[in-house]
Amino acid sequence: MNLSRLKSDRRLSATAVIAVAWLACMFDWLWVTKLPQAALGIGFGLAAVTAVVWGRWACRLRAEQQILSSAVASVAFLPVWQFVVFSLDMLDFAEARAMSARVGTATAYFVGLAWVVWGLERTARKFDRERLAAQAEAAVKELSEAAILNENAPASATGERVSNPLDPEAWFYGKKSKRLNQSVAAFLGYSLAFFVAFLILTQVGGCEDIYEMPAGGGEQQQIAQVVKVQKVIRKKFVVNPFASISFNIPPIDEIKLQLTEITKHHYTVGYGAGAGAGFAGGTKAGKVRFIRLEYLGGDWDQDFGIGADVNMLIEYGIRTQQKVEKRTESRTISQLKLFPIGKSPPYVYMTGQKNIQLSKSEIKVLREYILDKHGMLFGDNGGSRNWHSRFLSMMQQVLPNVRPTPIPLDDVIHRIPFQIPFLPYVAPHGGKEALGWRVDGRLVCYYHPGDIGDAWADDHSGVSPEVWEACYQLGTNVIFYAHTEYAKWLEARRE
Amino acid sequence: MAGSSTRVKLLWIAAILMALFVLPDRSAQAQKLDVLSLEGWAKLREVERYQMKIAEKYYLEKNYKVAASEYEKFLSLYEASEGAPYSLLKWSLCLIKQKKPNTAISEGFQSIIDYWPDSAEAVASSFYIARAYKDMGEVRKAKKAFKEVVSKHGKHLVAVYSLVDLADLASIDKDEDEQVAAWKQLTFDVARTKESKSYCEKASQQLASWSFRNGKVDDGVKALAASYPEEEVPTRVRDYVRTPIGELVKSDETREQGHDVADKTVSWIRQQVPTGVAPEPKELSKNYWLLSADVLGYSKRPEKVREAFTQIQKKFGADDAILQRLGDWLKSQGEYDKARIEYAKFENKIEGNNQIAYSFYQEQKWEQAVGTYTRNLSLDPDNQAKWNQKIAETWRYGRKIPQAVAVYRELISSDPDRAETWLWNVAYTYHHYGGNFKEAIGSYRQCNNFPSNLEQMADCHRRLKQYKEAIGLYGQIIGGSQSRAPWALLQIGYTHEQSGSKEKAIQAFQSVCKRYPKDRYASTAHALLQDKYGISVTLGGAKDE
Repeated sequence: MNLSRLKSDRRLSATAVIAVAWLACMFDWLWVTKLPQAALGIGFGLAAVTAVVWGRWACRLRAEQQILSSAVASVAFLPVWQFVVFSLDMLDFAEARAMSARVGTATAYFVGLAWVVWGLERTARKFDRERLAAQAEAAVKELSEAAILNENAPASATGERVSNPLDPEAWFYGKKSKRLNQSVAAFLGYSLAFFVAFLILTQVGGCEDIYEMPAGGGEQQQIAQVVKVQKVIRKKFVVNPFASISFNIPPIDEIKLQLTEITKHHYTVGYGAGAGAGFAGGTKAGKVRFIRLEYLGGDWDQDFGIGADVNMLIEYGIRTQQKVEKRTESRTISQLKLFPIGKSPPYVYMTGQKNIQLSKSEIKVLREYILDKHGMLFGDNGGSRNWHSRFLSMMQQVLPNVRPTPIPLDDVIHRIPFQIPFLPYVAPHGGKEALGWRVDGRLVCYYHPGDIGDAWADDHSGVSPEVWEACYQLGTNVIFYAHTEYAKWLEARRE
Repeated sequence: MAGSSTRVKLLWIAAILMALFVLPDRSAQAQKLDVLSLEGWAKLREVERYQMKIAEKYYLEKNYKVAASEYEKFLSLYEASEGAPYSLLKWSLCLIKQKKPNTAISEGFQSIIDYWPDSAEAVASSFYIARAYKDMGEVRKAKKAFKEVVSKHGKHLVAVYSLVDLADLASIDKDEDEQVAAWKQLTFDVARTKESKSYCEKASQQLASWSFRNGKVDDGVKALAASYPEEEVPTRVRDYVRTPIGELVKSDETREQGHDVADKTVSWIRQQVPTGVAPEPKELSKNYWLLSADVLGYSKRPEKVREAFTQIQKKFGADDAILQRLGDWLKSQGEYDKARIEYAKFENKIEGNNQIAYSFYQEQKWEQAVGTYTRNLSLDPDNQAKWNQKIAETWRYGRKIPQAVAVYRELISSDPDRAETWLWNVAYTYHHYGGNFKEAIGSYRQCNNFPSNLEQMADCHRRLKQYKEAIGLYGQIIGGSQSRAPWALLQIGYTHEQSGSKEKAIQAFQSVCKRYPKDRYASTAHALLQDKYGISVTLGGAKDE
């Protein structure tokens, strides 16, 4: 079987169509996010199956067609890998997904590098052959046989300066160790190109990072204890003390209540007119997530993961009956850029106790996230006065025209869904008052001064149940507030 | 007859003067927003007064929760009383103090405006609503409310407060026009009363600084002239032109403007020098000339300052005040030797020596400084203690411990009234400058300023690795000083750490978190436990109501 025969094969045209569809799906998945997940799954699945078929075909090729076989296998690797990543993403296997993405990227890099080396060697040999042939021809005409063997003979048989980078005799590779220099240049060039392509695919435009709230609705109201109002009709016994019949009047405690009415507060924690606990503007697949910010200079991952902030997410789900993600996540500040407007997280959590080092571009990203994407920052001082100052100074740069003010105990964020009668804290690292930054009446940053994250952890840092329970309630309120404000904003945008 | 009528007139005048003196300043009283006027108290019935007094007592004790319930009780008992709006106002203020401003606005201040719109409390409420919005960060609502207060109650003190807040809000928004408008209103339009005076003065200073920064020297002067008597204005101009000029000359782009502002200011100050008055007010003229030299100094043009001082000396001679200013300026230019030449010319030799010695001290030339101060010992026998103290301090900063201690010891006997202070200085010198901890402990032991003496002694023991003694002293502090107890307990933890008792240190840090969860040292202990020992159970936790 050769290429000319292949071209006539119908399979090729079918593969071309599937490849175009795969590219379209990729484009949507990475940048547009318009297609439903099922459609993407079908597109990617089809491409992966096709790739496997071609891979099997390549394996059956004869040894002399090894290059073609390798090329087909290399190309087929991409849709298969991409399908694995997509599937793991759909199945919520976050760690496996991340691992497969990393392994796949590394494999793609090395496969590409192998092709670069192969191509380079092949072209270099070709140039060498041509050069030798030219030199031989010239020697026959003009030079003696000794000149052909002379290592110091001019690079080009004609004495011209070579500029083709594929030719190891190119002038910019120097006079010594030309092959080595060419290999190093090719390696660096390829690595740079791969890195740039990687950045474009993962950083520019955004892809997997969309945040969708759980669909539904509810009221932005305080959770009250369930109250059962029971209307009781007591049996009345009219007894004639002079009657000849003896009555056995039961004591009051034994009288059975005849319930005629039971009422209770019954409403859903959420915002909007949809059914079930959730938010207007959410999606069926949407869930409440807990995303924390990674930053340089400090311990951003304090109380991160199972046994720590995951507890808060679980508690949020229990208390609000809304759908929540199983795990908490983290993103760098730059990655906030990847979330599109309208599909970005309503809040992000930030904690630590050391330093906060942000670049100017990160400050800009944060500002855009807060103002343009209607986000909210949930800051939590994890353990020092220094972090308090750093956080305040960061916010001064992010929002220079907004001054932090203490958040009152009767503010919406402290009342709904749970009434917080006091500010609970583990230790007063940054004072004893929660601070807020407001833009047009909306809290765009809630700063807790006393390590609320520690109270969410498994051992609750040894604080009293009253305090850690209040910390869960406060966490719930902040997350709920951010989602409600986001849902209101989405509704307003739609109108 | 004529005599009797004059006597009657005199009696009338005396009576009026007496009345003015005895009667309280009613306008001032009415201006206080959260105090019930005397007339208000007079209108209350005895039972009402009794209940109100109870509530006021708790309010003054800052027990706002109880006070709020007492004011509420007043309202439910005496709803129709004259004191009802006041009681509701104070209840709302209690809520503000309890961090519930939203409730205070909706259920308190707004109700006063709705039910008693003509009362003094309604005026106060309208301002408190605006202030509550501002404190909550609701800038738009606050601005609107403040503007409403100014337009509705322009003559009331609330308008002054509102203008101050409006200027502040404008500064957050970086709205210079609005800020300047508020300052101008406060400076030029608001009537100065006992309550408003300080706000108007502050606004005039801010307006002046802003004007100077923008090159409007005349406007700046005008603003200051609205707040200060004529003879004081040049000094104030010098004071408030300093920062703007300093900022302008710092940058290459605005340096020219800075020089221009300085020149205009100097020219204005010199214009104020009285001319054609007999006898010539020399002191005043000299003062104005010196002020102008100061302004030239701010513009960082040494030649001009030198020139100015030459002119001043030509005009007024070289008295101590002029020499002092010249010397200080030379020191600011790093020319210490030249400064000392000027100080040496002082007529008051004692002060001259003092200035020379201090300049040596600033240059860390300890021996020369002590030598110069010593000369004053003989020149000024009445102030031996003062000069000895300076000598001792100089030795101390120069790390000449035996000499410093010797002088302090001499002071203990020569100035027995302040023996405790000198003893403390002996101990402190040994401790912090000499590292002679045993000697320091001995001296601290004789001091009575608990708990500072025990704190220092404990530190000395720790440095001597006598940990048990240190812990004992910290224990005494915990027992005797409530305010320093958290700190002392934390120090016990550190001391255990130093002695290698890790478990005891952890226990001590946990105790800080547990016993003093609201204290800032609980934060330190909590962080230490987590970072250093990896212990998450820190036993802290508190709530702030």
